[in-house]
Amino acid sequence: MRFSIVWRLGLPLALLGVLATSLTGYYAYNASRDLLVKAAEERLLTATRVLMRQVTVTLKNTAADVKMIAEHPQAANILNRSTPKFQSIAENNVGMLFERMLAAHPEYFQMRMIDASAHGIERIRVDRDSHGVLRIGNADLQEKGHYPYVFETLRLPRGTVYISHASINHEVGAHAGLEKPALQVAAPVYGNNDKVLGLIVVNVDLNRLFSQLAADLPPELGLYLSNGKGDFLIHPNPARAFAFDRGQSALVQEEFPAAAALLNGSDQRKEFVVTSGSGRSASALVAAFMHQSLPNLAAEDDFVLGLAQPLASVVAESDRLATATMRIVLGFSALSILLAALLALTMVRPLRQIMEAVSRFAADRSGGTLPLARKDEIGVLARSIAHMQTQIRNQLESLHAQQDELDHLASHDSLTGLPNRRLFLDRLDRALARARRNHTTLALLFIDLDNFKDINDTHGHAAGDAVLCAVAQRLQGLLRGADTVARLGGDEFVILVEGARDADAIDQLVHKVNETLAEPIRHEDLELPTSGSIGISRYPEDGKDANALLAVADQAMYRAKAGKR
Amino acid sequence: MILYQTLRPALHALRRLMPRIAALALLSAMAAPVWAAAPVLRVLAWPGYADPAVVKSFEQQHGVRVEVTVIDSDSTLWHKISADDAAYDVFAVNAAELQRYIALNLLQTADPARIPNTARQLPRFRNLASIPGLVHQGHAYGIPYTYSEMGLIYDKRQISSPPQSIAALWDPRYRGKVLAYDGGTHNFSLAAQTLKTASPFRLARADWPRAVDRLIDMRRNVLGFYSQPEESVRLFMRHGAALMFANYGMQQVHLLKAAGADIGYAIPREGALTWLDCWTITRRARDPALAHAWIDHLLGDQASALLVKEQGLANTIAESDASHGDNRLLWLEPVEDAELRDRLWQRIRSGDRAAKVLAP
Repeated sequence: MRFSIVWRLGLPLALLGVLATSLTGYYAYNASRDLLVKAAEERLLTATRVLMRQVTVTLKNTAADVKMIAEHPQAANILNRSTPKFQSIAENNVGMLFERMLAAHPEYFQMRMIDASAHGIERIRVDRDSHGVLRIGNADLQEKGHYPYVFETLRLPRGTVYISHASINHEVGAHAGLEKPALQVAAPVYGNNDKVLGLIVVNVDLNRLFSQLAADLPPELGLYLSNGKGDFLIHPNPARAFAFDRGQSALVQEEFPAAAALLNGSDQRKEFVVTSGSGRSASALVAAFMHQSLPNLAAEDDFVLGLAQPLASVVAESDRLATATMRIVLGFSALSILLAALLALTMVRPLRQIMEAVSRFAADRSGGTLPLARKDEIGVLARSIAHMQTQIRNQLESLHAQQDELDHLASHDSLTGLPNRRLFLDRLDRALARARRNHTTLALLFIDLDNFKDINDTHGHAAGDAVLCAVAQRLQGLLRGADTVARLGGDEFVILVEGARDADAIDQLVHKVNETLAEPIRHEDLELPTSGSIGISRYPEDGKDANALLAVADQAMYRAKAGKR
Repeated sequence: MILYQTLRPALHALRRLMPRIAALALLSAMAAPVWAAAPVLRVLAWPGYADPAVVKSFEQQHGVRVEVTVIDSDSTLWHKISADDAAYDVFAVNAAELQRYIALNLLQTADPARIPNTARQLPRFRNLASIPGLVHQGHAYGIPYTYSEMGLIYDKRQISSPPQSIAALWDPRYRGKVLAYDGGTHNFSLAAQTLKTASPFRLARADWPRAVDRLIDMRRNVLGFYSQPEESVRLFMRHGAALMFANYGMQQVHLLKAAGADIGYAIPREGALTWLDCWTITRRARDPALAHAWIDHLLGDQASALLVKEQGLANTIAESDASHGDNRLLWLEPVEDAELRDRLWQRIRSGDRAAKVLAP
C-alpha cells in the first residue's frame, strides 16, 4: 500500500519509456533496412543494365566481326574458287585471320567458313582446344548443312547476322566447345550475282562471355541468364543451367514468378526488381532482371539477364545498425526506468508529506509542514489543505465558545447570572463529598424575600426583576471566593458556605445578609424596601445529604418567616 | 491516477499495436523455410508421356513429388540409366531396348499383380509372355503403355501421292525439305531397309560401310534432324518441309494437324518400324511400391484418355482408331550393337565424311 503509488506511477512511466525507445528503435531499424533493400535493388538494376549493355555491345561487335569477314571479297573468292591459283594462299590467310581472332577473343570457341554448295562443308575452321588455337585439317572438316545455324543463315539477306539459340554443342570434334554452352553468330557470304555462297560462323563461349563481362561484379552477386522461354542458361547453381538439354526444366519464372510478365510479353516492362524470401533464410535474394531482344540481328531468341544478391549481405549493414540500435534502446530503457523511478519518488515525497500533515492534524490539530511553496498541483493541494486546516480550527474554536455559552446558560440563572438550582445541587454534592472525605463542615443559608410578591404586584415585574438582580449582586458581594450563592427559583436564594466555621461566623454572615437585604433598592425613581427570611442547616448536624440539608434549611426559613408575622 | 489517465491513450495504442507486434514476431519465427521432405519419384519419360495433369494428380493422391526428366532418344535413355550415378525409379523404354537393360541387371520386375489397372488392358497387352522381350526367366520387366509405327509424314501440297518407300527420304526431289530423326538405332535400321539387308536390326559386317554411306546421303538430303515432337513440328511448319520420318508416329501426326498442317501419313512398303513402349522399374528404385503405383496411375482413365486426346497416341486400354494393317508393321527388335550404331551416328550427324565415320 505504501508503495502502490510509486508503482502505479513509476511502472507505466518506465514501460512507456522502454516502449517508446523500443518502438523507435524497431521502426528506425525497419526503415533503414527497407532503404538498404531499395538501394540494393537500384544498384542491382543499374548493374544489370550495364551488364546487359555490355553483352549487347559484345555480341554486336562479334556480329560486326563476322559480317566484316563475310562481306570481304576474299570470302566470296574463296567460296567461288574464282582464283584457283591463289586459292590455298587465300584460305591460309583467312585461316590465319581466324586464328588471330580466336587468340584475341577468348570467348570464341570456333570460327569457320562454311560452303553452301557442298552440303555445308567446312572450308576453313579454327577451333580452340586445351592447348590453344587449332587450325583443322582438311580430313577433319565436316558437313554442317543440316544444322540450323547453317540453313537459317543461308536464307538471310546479305548483310544480316544470325544469332542462334543458346545450346550445348554436341557436335563431335568440336574440341574445347564440345558439350559446352555456345551461341552461333553467323553471316551469309554472297557472291556477285546475289547467290549465297556460304557463311562465316563464330561459336561464342556463353559462360566465358558472361564471366568475362561479369568479372568486375562483386563475387557475392549471382548471375542469371535465361533464354526467351525462361530456361536458365547460366545459374549460380550449375545444375540448373541448360536443364532442358538434360530433359529437365529449370525456369526463371518458376524461381522468380515476377519474371513471367517479363517473358510472356503481356507486360511492356523490360526489367524488374524483386526481393524474394524473408530476411533470415539463406535463399532470400534481392534480384534485378532485364529482358533484352537483339534488334538489327536475326536472333533466334531473346535473353533475360539477372543479377541477384543474398538478402543477408544486403541487410548486413542493417544488422550492424540493429546492434547499435539495440544498445541505444537498452541504454535509453535503463535511463527511462531510472527517470521514471526518480519522477515517481519526487511525486510521492510531497504527497507523503501532505499525508503525514493531514494525519497529524487529524490526531491533534497541529500543523506539520506542508509543501506550500510549490508552484504545481501539489502546491495547490497543499495550500488548499492548509486553508482547510485553518477553517477547521476556526470553526472548532467558535464551536467551543458556543459550547461554553450553552453550558453557562444551562447552569446559571438567566436573570441574575447566579448559578441555578442544577449547578448549585452539583456544587453541593461535590462540597458534601469533600466535606465527608475531609471531615469538615458546611452550611446552607436558605433566603426568601419577604415582600417580593407585593413589589411585583405593586410596581410590576420589571421592578421585581430589578430587586432580584440587586439582591443577587449584594449577596455575591458578601461571599468569599469558595462559597456559592445560587438562585433556586422565584425569590429563593441559597448560599453554600464551605469550610470549618464556628457558629458565630455563621451568625455574623446571617447578620450581614439581613443587613444588606434591609437596605432599600432603587428602581427608577422608587425606593423599594426589602427584607428576607433566612433558614440555616449545617452538615453534618442537620443532615448527611443535599436534600436533607435543603429541607432543614427550608423549614428553618419558614419558621423564621412565620416568626416575623 | 493523473498519470494513469494521461497514459491511457498510449496504453490503448499499444494494445492495438500488440497483434501487429505479435504477428511480426511470429512471422520472423516462421521465416525459416519448412521444407516438407516429401518422397520423390524420379521418372524418365518420353515427351508427352507424363502429362502435367497426370503428374499433379499422382502427386496429390500419393503425397509425393514427381521429378520428370524427358528423354528424346534411346541412347540418351541408355546413358542415363546405365550411368554409375543413375538416380531414377521408373522409366519408359521400347520393348526391343528392354533386353539390354535386363542383361545388365538394371531393372527389377514390374509385377502386373501389383498394378491393378493391367486387368483393364487389351488382352494382347496383358499377355506379356507373348510380347518378345518383356519377360525374362519368368519375371515380367515391362508393362506396355503405348505404341506407334514410325511412318512417313508428307505435305499433301508438295507431294500429291503418298510416298511408297522409305527411300523417299533420300529422294533428291525433296532435298532440303526432309526432316529426319536424330537417333542412330532407328536410322541404321532405315538405311538397312533401303539396302534390303536380311534384317534391319542385325547388320552384317559388310553392311556397315554401305549403311554409313546411306546415312551420309540421307544427311545430305535432309533439312535437319529433330529430337522432340514439338521441335519436328516447328521445323516442319517453319521451313515448309515436304517429308518427315515420324519417329514419334501418330504423336507427330496429331501435333501437326493441331498446328494446321495439311499432311498425310504413309506406311512404306518395306514396313514401318514400330515401337511398343513399356514402363519399367529400375533396380535402384527407392520405393518399388510407389513405382508400381505410378505405372498403375499411367494406365488409369485420366492418363489413358490424355494420351489419346493430347498426344494422338494409342493406349493399351482401348483399340486405337489409327491402327494399320499388321502385315506392314515391323515391331522393333534388339539391334546387333546399339552402341556402335550410336557412335557412328554421332559422327554422321556431326558432319563427318565416310572415312572419318568408319575410322576406329
